Amino acid sequence: MARGAKLRLRHLTKSFGAAKAVDQISLDVAAGAFVSLLGPSGSGKTTTLNLIAGFLTPDAGDILLDERSIADVPPHRRNIGMVFQSYSLFPHMTVADNVGFPLRMRSKLSRADARRRIEEMLALVQLGHLGSRYPRQLSGGQQQRVAMARALVSHPRLLLMDEPLGALDKKLREQMQVEIKRIHRSVGTTVIYVTHDQTEALTMSDLVVVMHQARIAQVGTPRALYEAPDNLFVADFLGDSNLLPAKVIRASGNEALVEIGNGKTIGATASAAAVGARVVVLIRPEDMSVGTTPTGEALAGIVKDISYHGDTFKLDVAVGADALKVKVAREHGAGMRPGQEVYLTWPSAAARVLPVSEPVADGEGG
Amino acid sequence: MTALAEVRTGAPSRSSTASRARLVPALLLLPCLIWIVVFFLWPLALMCWRSLASEGFSLESYQVLFTSPLYTKVMITTVRTAAVATAFALVLAYPIAYVLTVGGGKMRALILVFVLIPYWVDIIVRSFSWLILLGDNGMVNKALIALGLVGAPLQLLYNPFSVLLAMVQILLPLTTVTLFGAMLRIDRTLIAAAKIHGASDWQAFRTVFFPLSLPGVYGAGLLVFVLALGFYVTPALLGSPRETMIAQTIMVEANQLLDWPQASAAGAVLLLITTSIAAVYNRYFSLDRLWGGADK
Repeated sequence: MARGAKLRLRHLTKSFGAAKAVDQISLDVAAGAFVSLLGPSGSGKTTTLNLIAGFLTPDAGDILLDERSIADVPPHRRNIGMVFQSYSLFPHMTVADNVGFPLRMRSKLSRADARRRIEEMLALVQLGHLGSRYPRQLSGGQQQRVAMARALVSHPRLLLMDEPLGALDKKLREQMQVEIKRIHRSVGTTVIYVTHDQTEALTMSDLVVVMHQARIAQVGTPRALYEAPDNLFVADFLGDSNLLPAKVIRASGNEALVEIGNGKTIGATASAAAVGARVVVLIRPEDMSVGTTPTGEALAGIVKDISYHGDTFKLDVAVGADALKVKVAREHGAGMRPGQEVYLTWPSAAARVLPVSEPVADGEGG
Repeated sequence: MTALAEVRTGAPSRSSTASRARLVPALLLLPCLIWIVVFFLWPLALMCWRSLASEGFSLESYQVLFTSPLYTKVMITTVRTAAVATAFALVLAYPIAYVLTVGGGKMRALILVFVLIPYWVDIIVRSFSWLILLGDNGMVNKALIALGLVGAPLQLLYNPFSVLLAMVQILLPLTTVTLFGAMLRIDRTLIAAAKIHGASDWQAFRTVFFPLSLPGVYGAGLLVFVLALGFYVTPALLGSPRETMIAQTIMVEANQLLDWPQASAAGAVLLLITTSIAAVYNRYFSLDRLWGGADK
């Protein structure tokens, strides 16, 4: 099947009145990649998608598809497929007619060829038997598959997906995530996937673009973003995190010694830290180990609260003035009680020094 | 019953609260209900009774209605005039409603004002204005003569043309607003979906917007047709006496010929036709849609 196109955004900018919706965004997407735009609502991800689709015209900047600018090409000539949040299937057409719509508009396929292509697509999304139904006769998940088939039928170079699983319940959403990945592997088109669900972005994407206040906060593989965030926003937005205000005591290469709240010094990894600088240390709750006997390295604390999450226990541990979140495996958490004294340890590689680019959410920074 | 008593008595009090819950809306509706019964349903019943009882009970009025060539001609004129006026109103209102639907805020507000101002002007005033415009010494004829296009004034009034022209003008605002309401219901992301999947603006309109607007067109058509059937002032002022519509004929029967049973029978038949059309409308399009309720 047709390979995906390479997509490049160059200083893309779009304002609505005084508000900047997308501010100088530049991004390179490799051909055939699955890239998520992840961010809270209002971060500019949907505007970016609508700019790529051509529903909005950029105020400045350019969009290149296989190195050719499409900024002045109307949407219907961009050869892009799109799956909408509400599926947006045509209610007055059967499933087969919905799927065949791009073929009727775009290509000069013979009727027989078109019918074969529609059947191929319906088979791809495993709805081969439902071609003659109307969208309203289908479940949400089935409508979602029809929307995928319609978006892919004319072998678009680029597939845009706007929160496509938002309307489905959790179980179905997880099934569809697997489905979408399978379909992506088999058609090989480039996918830009907008979501505010971080799990979705982390599990599905080759590359995740975290957006914040109309700009790109960080671009990276899911692992890089989660394990080595560049900044506080990304660290805070992805997963649970402990963000401790700290001061750099010593720095050498990738390692630093920092002082946290109660005068305690800990080792951490840092990309660039100046001695004396005010920073924030990120430690993921699942990277901490909980012991009941004191050791030299360990941070002493009191268990404030315990909650059970099936596979894990989550503990709230008070360490001096700081409240730390700790996630432990079931067998370790079962014996814990509120009020108990515990000792927290973590590998020094798990603690990351981040610059204070903006106030920490709880206001204890600086 | 006080709240305390209700607590003490337990189960019976629940049913009394429930019956009170039903009673309050009933009380609120009562004044209006009385009004409708006394001033609408009762006269209507009287009319129907009169159509059956001239000298003793008889269906004679209805027999006349369905056999006399006069009534056949009047009914044909009425239905034809209403149908043609409805068709023209729909064709003229569709583009206006479309622009209202896709246009931006200021454009929409401006067009709505121009659509609604005539709607608020009384039918009699609007019909009279056509008299002034289309008369032998009216603006249209004066302009045509001044331009040298015609030698003598054209006969623009008192014919099917003038009736149709005025009726379409009077029906246009309601048609536009009804169509606009229906078009607003069309999910606009469907148009975006059509465009991104290869449809030009025109193709998106033809394959998606237009088919989805058709139920609204049928709905507006039925509604406007029902209204047009009962037009009286406009054909009376602007029409030819040889081409009368049913409402005028009823007026003549009642006021000049004093044949009340005959007038009542014609009224009852007109009522039956319009309510049947409204019932069909309600069956397929739901009357609730006219005032913003849910679709069927």
